[in-house]
Amino acid sequence: MKKTGFLHDDRYLLHDTGPYHPECPRRLEAIYEGIEAGGLLPGLTLIKASRARQRWIEAIHDIKYIMRLDEACLYGMTEFDYPDNQMCSETFDTAMLAAGGILDTVKLVMEGEIDNAFCSVRPPGHHAEVDKAMGFCYFNNIAIAARYLQEEWEIGRVGIIDFDVHHGNGTQHIFENDPTVFYYSIHEHPSFAFPGTGREFETGAGQGDGFTLNSPVLPGQGDAEYKKLIEGDLVPAFDKFAPEFILVSVGFDAHIDDDMSGVSLSTEGYSWVMEKIVEMADKYSRGKLVSILEGGYCLERLPELARNHVEILLGE
Amino acid sequence: MFVDKSMNKKVITVSRDTGVLEAGEKMKEHRIRHLPVVEEDGKLIGIVTDRDVRSAMPSIFVDSCDIEEEKKKLGQLSVENIMTKDPVTISPLHTLQDALLLIQEKRVGAFPVVDEDGKLMGIISVRDLLRAFTNVLGIGEPGMLLGVLVEDKVGQLEKIVNAITEEKISFGSVLVSRHWEEGKRAVFPYLLTNTVAPIKKKLEKLGFEMLNPMEWYLDQLPKNE
Repeated sequence: MKKTGFLHDDRYLLHDTGPYHPECPRRLEAIYEGIEAGGLLPGLTLIKASRARQRWIEAIHDIKYIMRLDEACLYGMTEFDYPDNQMCSETFDTAMLAAGGILDTVKLVMEGEIDNAFCSVRPPGHHAEVDKAMGFCYFNNIAIAARYLQEEWEIGRVGIIDFDVHHGNGTQHIFENDPTVFYYSIHEHPSFAFPGTGREFETGAGQGDGFTLNSPVLPGQGDAEYKKLIEGDLVPAFDKFAPEFILVSVGFDAHIDDDMSGVSLSTEGYSWVMEKIVEMADKYSRGKLVSILEGGYCLERLPELARNHVEILLGE
Repeated sequence: MFVDKSMNKKVITVSRDTGVLEAGEKMKEHRIRHLPVVEEDGKLIGIVTDRDVRSAMPSIFVDSCDIEEEKKKLGQLSVENIMTKDPVTISPLHTLQDALLLIQEKRVGAFPVVDEDGKLMGIISVRDLLRAFTNVLGIGEPGMLLGVLVEDKVGQLEKIVNAITEEKISFGSVLVSRHWEEGKRAVFPYLLTNTVAPIKKKLEKLGFEMLNPMEWYLDQLPKNE
């Protein structure tokens, strides 16, 4: 059994997206309740968030963008860059805590205190671009974690796996020229789903050509297609790249009951995907893996999906 | 939607006495396939394409001493000998729709754009047109495509647009396919949002049928008996 960390902080609930928004605080409560009901809490290393040092946010984001977001919160704006991005005066601080909590978690893994971890954070990050908020995301949490691993811990090759049902445009764009960070994403085909990027022919640019890989899934294709693509695309790519650390963008929104998408992945399908990823971490990165929450909006399904996810990290 | 706005104004040109080999090099260097041929006063007299140049080249299967010989001959050949004289042109005040229909009709890859006096103003290629229509589709912006099946009668689009506007969602574009099935049209709003589930429910409540493109796709697949 592995030592698994679980990042959860009530302050992540303070990012208020209004009454009708799918990316709501209740999501994190549902996740916590699922893990608690599964009796998993005593076996986990519980992690509370601390605020990220701004230099790590600046490692990814344009300073003008960071200030613009900070000011928007000070002015009490409720919308940022796109109407999708509903916010409140606490959004900036919550986003700093999300990134900070993740960096603390990564540190614990690097110090050998824990083997792996699940970060249940809000707001999510993988759509956030260097200078633009998008798709409910403000700071690109996983990109910040990858740069932190490289600059603070001298990790050479970081592998990012993104199985949120939407393509992580922000993460891809941030690393598309970079051969030291491999970005793999499996998601609903961009002609059917937000944000309309992540096509098969997007494979990176310049020196980073060949270090971005996208597996679009047509609607309704479910578990069989996920298995085929993960085994046919991701596994050979990571065999070659051999990441020293694996970061995972976790989205539970590909689930058949989640009305944000149509790919119809089952609960068992989710477990299969995560087991495969943990297997890869054991093989390449001595088990070092941190998973970070992105989407997932079906409040009835989040508890079981989160519980299974953590169980697989624990290796029970 | 005028050609003037989407055409390439920095045109690479040649004159009638430019060598064929030089013209070929020029196209290679600038990664283009069409070279308008102009007089000194900028008047268009022809166009030469990469295919014209290649057709003028000796075959690679001819043995090598002959190639040198042929190349010498080619060196003396000028663009004037191989260009298309009086090519199909278009005016900067034509619309993109004109250009699109004309390109289909004439089966060419690009049009030189000329003013009333026949002076070259720019060039517009299939690629420029595609870029313009990609813009119109709005697919460079993050969003999601909806498919709605509607009866072929007046006022349907208004209902759909209103329902979406009420939710404060912006449109990337709206496409209408007039011949989806007998008596029906398909409307495809491209919405700049990540959250379409409430819109779908709302439209269904209003009596619209949501199109599931996957169903159509799966119907086309060969059936395993």
